[in-house]
Amino acid sequence: MEALALSLVNAVPLLAGVPLWAVTLLLIVAAAAVILVFALTFEGVGSFVLRKVAGDIQARIGPNRVGPNGILQFVADGVKLVLKEDIIPANADRLLFKLAPYFVFVGSFAAFVVVPFGVGLIAADLNIGIYYVMAVTSLVVIGVLLAGWASNNKWALLGGMRAAAQIVSYEIPVGMALIPAVLIAGSLSLQDIVHSQGGLLGIFGWNLFHNPFSFFSFFLYFTAAQAETNQTPFDLPEAESELVSGYNVEYSGIRFGLFFLAEFGDMFIVAALSTACFLGGWNVPFFHAGTLPWIWGNLLSLGVFLAKAFTMVLIMMWVRWTLPRLRVDQLMRMSWKYLVPLTFVNLLGVSLWLLVFKGKGIPGMVASLFG
Amino acid sequence: MGLKAYLNDIVEAVVTTAKGMRITARYGVDPKEEVTLQYPEERWEIPQGYRGFLHNDIKTCTACTMCVKVCPIDCISLESVRGADKKMVLASYDINIGRCMYCGLCVEVCPPKSLKHTSGYEMASVTRGELILNFIAEDAAEIKARVARQVAEATAKAEAQAAAKAEAQAAAKAEAQAVAKAAEVPSSGTAEGEKKE
Repeated sequence: MEALALSLVNAVPLLAGVPLWAVTLLLIVAAAAVILVFALTFEGVGSFVLRKVAGDIQARIGPNRVGPNGILQFVADGVKLVLKEDIIPANADRLLFKLAPYFVFVGSFAAFVVVPFGVGLIAADLNIGIYYVMAVTSLVVIGVLLAGWASNNKWALLGGMRAAAQIVSYEIPVGMALIPAVLIAGSLSLQDIVHSQGGLLGIFGWNLFHNPFSFFSFFLYFTAAQAETNQTPFDLPEAESELVSGYNVEYSGIRFGLFFLAEFGDMFIVAALSTACFLGGWNVPFFHAGTLPWIWGNLLSLGVFLAKAFTMVLIMMWVRWTLPRLRVDQLMRMSWKYLVPLTFVNLLGVSLWLLVFKGKGIPGMVASLFG
Repeated sequence: MGLKAYLNDIVEAVVTTAKGMRITARYGVDPKEEVTLQYPEERWEIPQGYRGFLHNDIKTCTACTMCVKVCPIDCISLESVRGADKKMVLASYDINIGRCMYCGLCVEVCPPKSLKHTSGYEMASVTRGELILNFIAEDAAEIKARVARQVAEATAKAEAQAAAKAEAQAAAKAEAQAVAKAAEVPSSGTAEGEKKE
């Protein structure tokens, strides 16, 4: 950010008198605002698309009253959430009750910081990108557990407990399934991981096709990540039919809205991470977007990245409306007896592959055969 | 659990998920699967023999009270008086449609087929009283009074006619008697005998 601020100050003579820290701060705020606006827009449109997809799959129409074809439904929902009374139960722990949504919201949104949207479109290219995402999304557990505890409601408490158990269990397979991408790139930075998948191989440069283990790794990550972010069919913490709405049952108005936004934020983070780590990220097939003029390269790579990420989101919705909810014991068995061993086997497989073939993938080897 | 069963579980999970997703995708893509009827704008075609709200054509109704007797929940009530022409005249005919269970017995039993089911099914009201259908707008007391007046008029007329007739007959008789008297004064016995016959 400071380097960007320095170049901006150098480029625009008007800013010469302004101190560098002020420009940097301004840029940071601007970047945060852009990401927040993007996330909020995604959540709004995402909730509308989710309901439309649900309608299509369940042979219904879905929302179609507000605006043409119901497209303004999310605006109406948002206005409703903001205007609703913010109720705090009489016996709730007021401080924790108020605090909990922010933890969840921050945990979900902080991950947007390292999402590589394009060649240069990344808020902060941390050299511990994936590690940062794993760490910061763990904040959601605290928020959810706090919400469940502070509500002083048995359903909320059960939901919170379930969420904690689930998220902590599934963090292991999620991390283990992401490590193959880290191993192949040799870096934790998401930008480096995306770079490692570029080149002239097109879609065969993706980590998905690097070797059989990384192929399975993608599906394992996708499954585990859905469970980690409490998406249906792993939405036990919310389980409407048994826990009413789980940890957020006592929340209303804007505080409920924050939980809701965080859920969609998580959805996008999962889609973005699987895109960046396995599906080639913003790489435009067959040429490097970085060689284009800055604005066009970024626009093109942003379009490619968003297309991939939104496709993943759509697939998540598709899964969501297909599978019924798991039982608690089934959920735990799936994590500890299936996903964890499989991800470890995968990790071992990828490591051995990289060791034996000197870091080359199958498409790379095939390409080198033909020169 | 052996390794084979373990791997089998994994394969089964993948296969069943794929199967389910194929089905949902088919529903999601095919617009013809849509079953939603956007009610106030679109409506079902009412099938034949649909038992909607009841309607009584009071012009053909004979006030036979069959419907009242057959109704299992007593939601039909009627008042009637005997009119001047000896036929029953309806004073009021009410159906409490809020209570009606649309069994259709009253329609089946109606001899002049004046009571029928319509295709109507939409009704909303603030009070339960609004759900009572009044098929005769006029006040029952007024109708009764009017019919009573008509009946009274008719009977008066009939009486007057009868009286006139009787008078005429009496006059005719008297005349005949006078004539007979004048003709056969002596033989009054025979005249009496004739009269007896």
